[in-house]
Amino acid sequence: MTHISCQGVTVKFGGIIACSELALSVAEGKIYGLIGPNGAGKTTLFNVLSRFQNCDSGSVYFRGDCIDCKRPHDMVRLGISRTFQNINLFSAQSTLENILVGAHRLAGNPFANMFALPSARKNQRMLLARAHEVAELLRLENHLEVPVRNLPYGHQKRVELARALASEPEVILLDEPVAGCNSQEVEELKDFVRVINKELGITVLLVEHDMSMVMEICDYIYVINFGANLAEGTPAEIRKNPKVIAAYLGEEE
Amino acid sequence: MSESRRLGVRGPLPGVPQSGTASVRDAERKRAAIASLQAGFRRQNIFLVASLFLTAALAPALPFVEDWMSMQASLVIIYILAAQGVSILTGQTGLVTVGHGGFLAIGAYTSALLAKYFAVDLSLSIVAGAVMAGLIGCLLGLIFLRLAGAFMAIGTLGFAFFIGTIVNNVPIFEGRDGIQMPHSRIFGMLLGDTGFYYVALAVLALTTAFVYILLRSPVGRAFRALRDSEKAAESSGVNRLFYRTLAFTTSAALTGIAGVLNANITGYVSAETYGDIWYSVDFLVATVVGGSSALMGPFVGGAFIVMVPFYLEQLADFAFILKGVVLILVLQFAPAGVCDVIAKPFRDLRRKQLQRIQDDVEKTSPPALAALFSRGRQ
Amino acid sequence: MFGQQVVSGLAAGSLYALTAVAVVVVFRNTRTINLAQGDIGMIGAFLALLFIKHWQMNYYAAMALAVVACMALGVLIERTVMRRIANADWLTLFTATLGVFYILHGVAGWVWGRDTKAFPVPFDPTPVEILGTVVSFGHLTNMVWAAVIGLLLFMFFRYTKQGIAMRAVTDDPETARLMGIPVPSIVTLTWAMAGFLAAFAGILIAPIVYVSPQMMDEILIKGYVAAVFGGLYSIPGAILGALMIGVAENLAGGYLGSQFKTATAFVLIVALLAIRPQGLLGVQTRRVI
Repeated sequence: MTHISCQGVTVKFGGIIACSELALSVAEGKIYGLIGPNGAGKTTLFNVLSRFQNCDSGSVYFRGDCIDCKRPHDMVRLGISRTFQNINLFSAQSTLENILVGAHRLAGNPFANMFALPSARKNQRMLLARAHEVAELLRLENHLEVPVRNLPYGHQKRVELARALASEPEVILLDEPVAGCNSQEVEELKDFVRVINKELGITVLLVEHDMSMVMEICDYIYVINFGANLAEGTPAEIRKNPKVIAAYLGEEE
Repeated sequence: MSESRRLGVRGPLPGVPQSGTASVRDAERKRAAIASLQAGFRRQNIFLVASLFLTAALAPALPFVEDWMSMQASLVIIYILAAQGVSILTGQTGLVTVGHGGFLAIGAYTSALLAKYFAVDLSLSIVAGAVMAGLIGCLLGLIFLRLAGAFMAIGTLGFAFFIGTIVNNVPIFEGRDGIQMPHSRIFGMLLGDTGFYYVALAVLALTTAFVYILLRSPVGRAFRALRDSEKAAESSGVNRLFYRTLAFTTSAALTGIAGVLNANITGYVSAETYGDIWYSVDFLVATVVGGSSALMGPFVGGAFIVMVPFYLEQLADFAFILKGVVLILVLQFAPAGVCDVIAKPFRDLRRKQLQRIQDDVEKTSPPALAALFSRGRQ
Repeated sequence: MFGQQVVSGLAAGSLYALTAVAVVVVFRNTRTINLAQGDIGMIGAFLALLFIKHWQMNYYAAMALAVVACMALGVLIERTVMRRIANADWLTLFTATLGVFYILHGVAGWVWGRDTKAFPVPFDPTPVEILGTVVSFGHLTNMVWAAVIGLLLFMFFRYTKQGIAMRAVTDDPETARLMGIPVPSIVTLTWAMAGFLAAFAGILIAPIVYVSPQMMDEILIKGYVAAVFGGLYSIPGAILGALMIGVAENLAGGYLGSQFKTATAFVLIVALLAIRPQGLLGVQTRRVI
């Protein structure tokens, strides 16, 4: 039932301890949240989980298997996708192209692709269809040919999400999916995340500052502060937790 | 996604509002219209390129075309081939190379040595040159795996000089004395200037088709992803080591082929021509001026680089000056290359055509995708 | 023999260092890899030769005038070519300097021809004996020149207003701008400095490699290799790298044969970048988002 988890994660940057013996465990098919004040180590932990960052001690597990040795590009093959906090799209390329890159895992043998073998051509048609469907799910079908840097910020966030979805992941790691969005965009993204989880059965772990989003859609929340676990529980429990309240001290909505 | 497939979904999904099939059919019709329009664009592109090649093939038959033009045209083709190699690495994958003269040399010397010692047919030479250059390109890609940007440029520059030093000093390459090549034969037939031109043209047609397929394939997409954002590319599953090395290999192989042809057309290889940086910088200039990520970029750039010194033959130094001035002007006023400028009106026209269809599409509710994600969830 | 090779290596290295430092300074301040660095010096060497041979000028006067001319050339390049594309990506900047490289080669070839010309030295070229090794006087003077220039640079960066401003621009152009430092003038100053260093590099090495449009091509790449030793960022690193290249190639040439001399720098660069992509003393960036 545990989909992705980590234990004893410690990360040091020079003299600064970003993460200290962090542990978390995400159950399959649920939406989990990771919150904490600024500088608590959330993004670092996220990078460790998605293997963009090595930890000085501790391990990351996927379905119980240790994935410490995996490189970032291996994660997609396992079924783990991630988005970036400051969207990391291919800005001059179109929405469709961005999503197609996301589906790279499904692209098949590169040599077959390079020489346009019949199997490859069939594969590419399938790839295109899939990209279209993901775009439709996130209501981007009208913007497929637009260079993403011309899109409004909220749409760009959706393209980032679409790209992560394109590879048919089991787990999606969302790094501050609504950062910088206005309230309408936040509502839309909340809906999309819910649909992704409920209709497609994808496990979600999200890092967020926006409390309305976290409290509303998460099934379970981890709170970290100063790089260490502070608390965990359902949204209701977290809301009442005195340690959490103290840590935020007025940041909570 | 056709209606029949939708019917395969098990009943209405909770949370997804039921959408009327009419609006979905509408959306599908629009999507089909867009797809066919784009297929039309692609056909136009292919038609244009094919016409270009056809014209080039028929050109020798025209009355005002003289024999010596074949040799000049062959040189242009050689530079186009080399620039195609550079554009795969620099334009598509974002790895700047100022060292492709090294791969040209590898191809040229492979061909020269094979011809001199084994009297090898040109067709085999081309393959051998591509393989040799490709192998060394692969090796270089691995060595330079962690390089980016300016360091990559300097590293490749060092590589070119390194190859130059080898051909200058290792005895088998005969240094500045050079190697005389016997007359080129392809499939046994002796080649004159015009014959060679047709061979070069045929090779260019093949490589252009290859590059076209490559760029539109997921491999090309992976290259461009690495170029635009390595982090994002890797997080999408693009294996940096594999695709970088692949880019280096194909890029080097193409320029290696150009090297084989260059050796055969001049009939002579020596460290004097292959031992310095001029080829390397010329290829980079050709790529940048033409447009580093356009399919036709190398064509424009290659023609430019060859024709300038040709027309200014007696004033070779002016050729240098002119190349420099044009390069700077292009960078200041048309940094995406000449092809970009030429193609802009067509791109805008096509975009308008697409927009006309897009505007009519009304929003549809999220369709049921679950059944289509083959990981077996409901 | 060993001592001799080391000394001539250090002498050669000190001249490479002039180019290497210029490459680093220009790169730090403008993100530009200046491919024309060597050629500005080449023009300087040609001009000095002109002044000495045709205008009958004294060596030092000719040198001074040539240095001024090169500084002006650097400023000219910055104004006409680089300023307009100042905010472009580094490939555009680099290719623009490539254009300048072509132009300077063409101009030199057109005005003075492509053959090599000898360059006079202002002193008696008989070797001198120092600490038991025989050293050419030319080597000595080159090292002294390079050391003096190095000292001048050091004092410039540490004690003058412009030098300090330049360092600020290197570290953080935005903040520098906000603090009232006129960044465009710093850029102009940077290119003037590049011209200054190029002139000395060209004139001092001219007697050894002879004057021709292509005289600085190989030296340029060695200057790059040295600059990369410092991660394209550290001046001491670049100087150290240049000295190492000079010594290494002389030793290789002396003990392995002259054909290995030129290859040394390129082997070094490929090996270095393979092992330590950010340069020997470069900034190590950790792989973090």
